[in-house]
Amino acid sequence: MPNYRCPMCRKICSEHLDLARHYLGQTDKKHKDWLKTQGLSYAALIKAQVTEFGNKGYQALADVLKKTAAEVNEG
Amino acid sequence: MKEYSIIGKPTPNVDGPAKVTGEAAYSIDITLPNMLYGKLLRSPYPHAKILSIDTSKAEELPGVKCVITGKDTPGGKWGLWRRFRELADQQALATDKVRFIGDPVAAVAASTEEIAEKALDLIEVEYEPLPAVYDPIEAIKDDAPMVHDDFPSNINATRHIEWGDVDKGFAEADYVREDRYVIEAAHPCAMEVHNSVASYDKGTGRLTVWTSTGSPYFVQQNIAEALKLREGDVRVIKPHVGGHYGGKNSTMPDAVNAAILSMKTGKPVKIVFNRDEEFTTTEHRTAQHMALKIGLKKDGTIVAFEAKAITNGGAFTGLGATTLFLTGTFITMPYRIPNYRYDGVRAYTNIVWGTSIRGFGAVPSKYCAETQLDRAAKDLGIDPLEIRRKNAVAPGYEAPGQYKFESCGIQACIEKMAVRVKEKWPNVEKDEGIGYCGFAYMSGGIFNWIDTPYAYSSAHVKVNWDGTVDLYSQAADVGQGHNTVAAMICAEELGIGIEDIRLHMGDTAHAYTDLGAWGSRETLMNGNAIKDAAGQIKQKLIDLARLKLGENIAYDLVARNKRIYLELRPERGLSYYDLVKDAIRANDGVPLTGTGHYTPHNKGMISPAYGMGIMAIKAKVDRETGHVTAQDVLVVHDSGQIINPLGARGQVEGSIHMGLGYGLCEEMPMDQGMLLNPEFVDYKILRTRDMPEIEILDVPTYEPNGPFGAKEAAEATIAPAAPALANAVYQACGAEFFSNVLKPEKVLKAIREKEKKDKESAKSKAPSKAKGK
Repeated sequence: MPNYRCPMCRKICSEHLDLARHYLGQTDKKHKDWLKTQGLSYAALIKAQVTEFGNKGYQALADVLKKTAAEVNEG
Repeated sequence: MKEYSIIGKPTPNVDGPAKVTGEAAYSIDITLPNMLYGKLLRSPYPHAKILSIDTSKAEELPGVKCVITGKDTPGGKWGLWRRFRELADQQALATDKVRFIGDPVAAVAASTEEIAEKALDLIEVEYEPLPAVYDPIEAIKDDAPMVHDDFPSNINATRHIEWGDVDKGFAEADYVREDRYVIEAAHPCAMEVHNSVASYDKGTGRLTVWTSTGSPYFVQQNIAEALKLREGDVRVIKPHVGGHYGGKNSTMPDAVNAAILSMKTGKPVKIVFNRDEEFTTTEHRTAQHMALKIGLKKDGTIVAFEAKAITNGGAFTGLGATTLFLTGTFITMPYRIPNYRYDGVRAYTNIVWGTSIRGFGAVPSKYCAETQLDRAAKDLGIDPLEIRRKNAVAPGYEAPGQYKFESCGIQACIEKMAVRVKEKWPNVEKDEGIGYCGFAYMSGGIFNWIDTPYAYSSAHVKVNWDGTVDLYSQAADVGQGHNTVAAMICAEELGIGIEDIRLHMGDTAHAYTDLGAWGSRETLMNGNAIKDAAGQIKQKLIDLARLKLGENIAYDLVARNKRIYLELRPERGLSYYDLVKDAIRANDGVPLTGTGHYTPHNKGMISPAYGMGIMAIKAKVDRETGHVTAQDVLVVHDSGQIINPLGARGQVEGSIHMGLGYGLCEEMPMDQGMLLNPEFVDYKILRTRDMPEIEILDVPTYEPNGPFGAKEAAEATIAPAAPALANAVYQACGAEFFSNVLKPEKVLKAIREKEKKDKESAKSKAPSKAKGK
């Protein structure tokens, strides 16, 4: 099974949704700025996550990470 | 349970005589030679640019010794979340802009308090008001004014917790409901306001601060950061404290500005907040919006739970980000929830900041979760106590990746409650109801956002030639009785009396680190450190006694009743006092010492141990006025091995008092960021005569992570009071509440809504009945 690497740091997760959870847990500028390059807003994703039931914010980011996060074979 | 000599025996507070005779010194009582008095000039605007500050007229006033503004301060920012530097957001005096009504912009030191007050009136500040935001939902909108420029959409902190498969859980549920809540803020209302005395010695470059705090260590660290000093050059002393309740964890501008003024003048400076400042500019319980979704099987088993929280952070972080984190944790306790998701966001707003008030994280969240559980129980036709019993955790329960209950008496608590309720309240009259709430709370936090490199708690014990003991620790007695608990633990371990213990507590210069009194941590964490330190000395005495007695090495020796003796042959032993003398002689005349410490390891994310239980409140509702009377409170509590039953009872009663206030009358209404009730005339707290009878039953357990099996007793019982009361009203008349303060007008409105709903429901049933005919 492939793993996926965060585009901004060394974090590796086995699922894109987990990677999205990691990503939105980071508060540094570097992580936030990359979202802008993908046409996403950190604040909008957080708002989607906290104002509606479900994982809407994480899922929206996970969909982008599916296309952008590098696959790695390390554990 | 094991029988101890001192532990578990009701013991009067060791500070009691000094307190009741007025001999106990609080920082507010401290007066030093040549001391000046400081006052802070505060912003009248919730959000405004500072264009200019003219202090010239104030400086000319006779008796004024020093006036400072933001540019005169060293400029260091501080906070309790310093692991994330950007969240260290407090500063001594605002420089570029003010962020809430009461944000300090200038400080004065004068020969009297009155002159300092007059000088404030002479300082001219030119502001440019900015748009402000007060509600967290408004604050996270894209076009909201930014409270801090580096935080888009005012997002101060977020938290996500998830385990199991939540969507699958809801899909498998027979019953799902969603509820939304708006929870009010409340003030800790300590009798002693924030106050500090600072004295800087220019010769040595060392600063001493006496302050009313829950954590001398936090204040030492924060002052060092704010003033860009080495921590070793800052000594913080916590004298007696006249109430804390979570409002004295952050380092406040009184301590920092007193220190700056002392450094500038070379004289000691004292700053004491007045009651208005205390209400309007010091930390309070965080107001928040919550949305909950719960899924259950027909038999009442919870299969999925989801919680969303948007908290009104105010202008700074404090321990409010920790509150956000704990909200997502305590809302699940003490229940088995196989699938769980939590998302929380803390928003910066232009009000004074919310933080870690007593029971933090648990109080608002339990209100929401437990009132929702009662509605679910009613819809499913299940008794409210039974639904709690069915879902209560068992010893060894683990919330994946979050927390684990080792000692766990909740099932026994519920069973005891069921029996006692029937005996105590065999009949419930019209408009009366019994409401329940389960609860659990931490015994100190494992998290380390202050980023301390030190042990979480430490203690140093020295035994003198005459057998007296000096106990040193930075641990804080803030009125909760920790000094008594510390002395009892030390005395029990050494097998002596508490009259032999001399306490030297709460001074950063005389003791190793303890992180302070918050999150019910001192009994377990400091207790473990004390037991460790005293235990080292006990072992030395036992080794010496074994040598002198010459008994079989397989025999166990114990230290009890001021003797060291064979456990199975008590008559064979030696006097503690004689052994101490011999041990010191054998130690080249050096007193016996032990240094103990405690830091939790491999105990999950939250705490090493949890106090828990269930509360029932019997209440009566007046349907004509909406007035709610809490008639009687019954709490069944698992606090592990209780160290001091007298102190524990005081803590439980105090928690219930605060919890009922939160449920009945305490609120902080604001208009454009201005608090409307900043005095006790308008801010209503319950008085002694308003309090119902409280019956407390204990379910003793042994907590393996606590000293002598102890765990928290100070905060768990605040959270259940308001929800148990709301549930009692719900049982009495069916009125539902989605916010906490049950003022008569709110209750009356809810009763009318319920009556209207019942009528509509009856009408909708009528046609089918007619059709049947």
